[in-house]
Amino acid sequence: MQRRQFIQASALASTLLLVPKFLYAIDRPENRLAARLRDAPGGAAKRLIVVQLGGGNDGLNTLVPYRNDLYYKARPTLALREADGLLPLGDELALHPAMKGLKGLFDQGQVAICNAVGYPNPDRSHFRSMDIWQTGSGSEQLLSTGWLGRYLDSTCAGGAPAYQALEIDDTLSLALKGAQRNGLALKNPGKFHQLTQSRYLNALSQEKGVGAPGSELDYLYKTLAETASSADYLYEKSKIHSSAATYPNTDFGHNLKTTAELITSGVESRVYYLALSGFDTHVRQHEQQGRLLGELSDGLAALAADLQKSNEWNNTLVMVFSEFGRRVGQNASNGTDHGTANNVFLLSGALRKPGLLNQAASLADLDQGDLRYQLDFRSLYASILTDWLGADGQLVLGPGVEKLAGLV
Amino acid sequence: MNAQQQLQHLYWRAGFGPRPQDVAAGPSPSKALRQLLHEARAYEPIPSASMAAFQDPMGAVMAVPAGVPTPPPGSMAAGPAAAPPAPASSAQPGTADPASPTPPLAAVDALLPRAMLAPRRQGLPQLRRADLTPEQRKMQNQGIRDAFIGMSTAWMDKMTTSPGQLREKVALFWHGHFACRTRRPDDSLALLNTIREKALGKFPDLLLAVSQEPAMLQFLNNQQNRKEHPNENFAREVMELFTLGRGNYTETDVKEAARAFTGWGYDGQSRFVFRERQHDAGSKTLLGQTGNFGGADALRIIMQQPAASTFLVTKMYRFFVSDVPDPAHIAPLAVAFRKSGYDVSDLLERIFSADWFYEPANTGSLIKSPVALVAGLRRTLNLKVDNDKQLLGYQKALGQTLFMPPNVAGWPGGRAWIDSSSLLLRLQLPSILFKNAEFAVHLKDDENDITPQTTGKERLVKNTETTHLPLGPMQQLLGSAPPEQQPQLLANFLLQAPLRPENLTLVQQAAAKAATPEERMKNTLVSLLSLPEYQLA
Repeated sequence: MQRRQFIQASALASTLLLVPKFLYAIDRPENRLAARLRDAPGGAAKRLIVVQLGGGNDGLNTLVPYRNDLYYKARPTLALREADGLLPLGDELALHPAMKGLKGLFDQGQVAICNAVGYPNPDRSHFRSMDIWQTGSGSEQLLSTGWLGRYLDSTCAGGAPAYQALEIDDTLSLALKGAQRNGLALKNPGKFHQLTQSRYLNALSQEKGVGAPGSELDYLYKTLAETASSADYLYEKSKIHSSAATYPNTDFGHNLKTTAELITSGVESRVYYLALSGFDTHVRQHEQQGRLLGELSDGLAALAADLQKSNEWNNTLVMVFSEFGRRVGQNASNGTDHGTANNVFLLSGALRKPGLLNQAASLADLDQGDLRYQLDFRSLYASILTDWLGADGQLVLGPGVEKLAGLV
Repeated sequence: MNAQQQLQHLYWRAGFGPRPQDVAAGPSPSKALRQLLHEARAYEPIPSASMAAFQDPMGAVMAVPAGVPTPPPGSMAAGPAAAPPAPASSAQPGTADPASPTPPLAAVDALLPRAMLAPRRQGLPQLRRADLTPEQRKMQNQGIRDAFIGMSTAWMDKMTTSPGQLREKVALFWHGHFACRTRRPDDSLALLNTIREKALGKFPDLLLAVSQEPAMLQFLNNQQNRKEHPNENFAREVMELFTLGRGNYTETDVKEAARAFTGWGYDGQSRFVFRERQHDAGSKTLLGQTGNFGGADALRIIMQQPAASTFLVTKMYRFFVSDVPDPAHIAPLAVAFRKSGYDVSDLLERIFSADWFYEPANTGSLIKSPVALVAGLRRTLNLKVDNDKQLLGYQKALGQTLFMPPNVAGWPGGRAWIDSSSLLLRLQLPSILFKNAEFAVHLKDDENDITPQTTGKERLVKNTETTHLPLGPMQQLLGSAPPEQQPQLLANFLLQAPLRPENLTLVQQAAAKAATPEERMKNTLVSLLSLPEYQLA
């Protein structure tokens, strides 16, 4: 594991030149906006859906530089061509043929794409790199809380409920673990509720004031009580609306549907976290990545349509990321190995600046065969925290992380 | 706190909990401590249940069964299955017998001691990972995964059954302290056995041995630490995480120590080597001392810093005593630790015999780690488990997989173990294990780098009836106590926090549902084990 080397000031300065001015423009005072977002009642407040592509999605075959010879040279058999059905977003970049749903949203101005997102001294190990993205740390830093967990910490003064951040899964990710507060993981409100409904657990969860205040026992009983009341709340709310929309008949599709149902039912959660895994395409990338990107794109298009119908799409921002991209050159097994910088997709009915937000990473200026990053992922987090969720980005990410103005 | 609670406290902190027979004998805590220290002297390496016969210094290669055509280098390896299906590894802990003949080129092989493995390695074909067919790669991953599962269950078995409880508990502490992940099961197991062997000796010996383990040299990039291109990762972690803690060294110390460690590496057979030509033999100034230091000198100089004893004692205190370190306890311990030449046994004896160790503030006050919870359930109940691999699934769902710490800083521990999902699973685990309560958890996609692409079915942990709960030892503990007293007596044994009247009522209600005395006992046990109080030790 390589960490602790710091990027040279000159390298950082040169990559910043590739980022359009508006992204780093001096922000106008938005304190009022932040306060409004923070204090808005749950239903009217903006919410964030994070979609994690596990395994390291190949960004170059997701958003294809289809007029770039260097791309075709580096990937003689793996490269995608216009004849394969690429979906051009302009003169330079095109979406993977399986992403028709996302292309439709792009054409409607509901997608923004950040290119070459990464961080200094990228780590190519899945678990460490995912750790970095989930904690919002640098590669030289070790954090034991997640960025969304710290978001919960930073807003917990008002006694925010545990369901403020939900992961649609059986177990909770580090991303949603804070020092004071955690998010809540559930796959299905009904089943989750059922778990807390055994007479025994139910009786235990009613017990109050167990153990000295601040003791471990007190903490356990409080967590149990919160879990049970959250399960009640989510179950009761989720009965209000069930979606008739068609989502991909996959685990990820079902999780998106659950998310849309919770949102439309008026659940006052600000953050949803979902994962789609299997992107570790060392071998035979074509079929596997195509299937997964289709699942992603169809799922997100269904979600957007579903939330549009319930007038919730304008209040929702989706961020799609992966822990790293793949190497530029293909390997001998018709696949790609672990790489670095990658694209991040933002989706919403209310994007301030849709479209391609910056240039793709240069294929002519590689770092030992890998893409150089232009945007630090923590800048994206800072923008979303501050401008979308109305939180204090500095409090969550620490000082020195510059937000991108005008992003959301 | 009565004598029984004190005794149980000792067994929970110095091991993985008391067995009824330990408590029934009723020794004094001091006598039990002497016994624990005595029993911990013996050391036996953990045998690996199964180990893929994979190959190569970088962990990137596997042995291919004889007769399997290998794709020519550079060819597109996307054809039909070239290798026969990998035999499922079914060897159980303790059954690996180095003397028994094994087919020399089996894809999955019984693990041999490292010394015996070495000559075999030379004779095996070497393949680059990129040249493997998808099937071969899958087989390799499966072999590696089976090996890690075998090692983990073998160690869990030791924690549960070994009389050397103290050695295993301290080894678990060092396992988190010297946190390390690799793709190589053999290297990981070698590191663990080094830790287990030296866990209770002098810390500098442990530190030196760990620092020369290929797993650690690989994980912290010292293999890349060469005179011309120093890599500072290992030097930094040694000081920040292993010995001194932040603030007790400078960036210059890191650079100079990295120079001292240049040339430390491992060879193709996973043996420590000093590569003299890659060593920077020039003068270095480390922590105020100047000389032509090598790696061992650097470790010696680091251990001369007074900060080392305070740092290490504080970390051990948080693991064995309380998450809230008391400087009044730490300071004298640190002095004694240093004076003893960092004798770990001596330090632990001082901790476990201190009056404050048995004070109410320090008992029933630590949240059990998932490994301690599962090992504790097995040990305190004398549990027999048919499929202990399944128990690893629960540990993973609860956030702790042996050999897979989250990062170089190890498991954060304490309240970080608890969130809504993990707490619900913890509270239901007894019903799942003993009453076959319905349960299914989809583990997250393996976020480690060994099997990043397991299928949904492979990641599903479901309950299957594989545990046997013998009631005899518990009945012996109860003696002739009448049924209405049994819940309280069992609570005294199972819980380190007092049983509250409301919960006693709940437990009695659960017991009353039983049709037979056995069922009554089982219901009582399960409901006691399902209390939040049982999460504490």
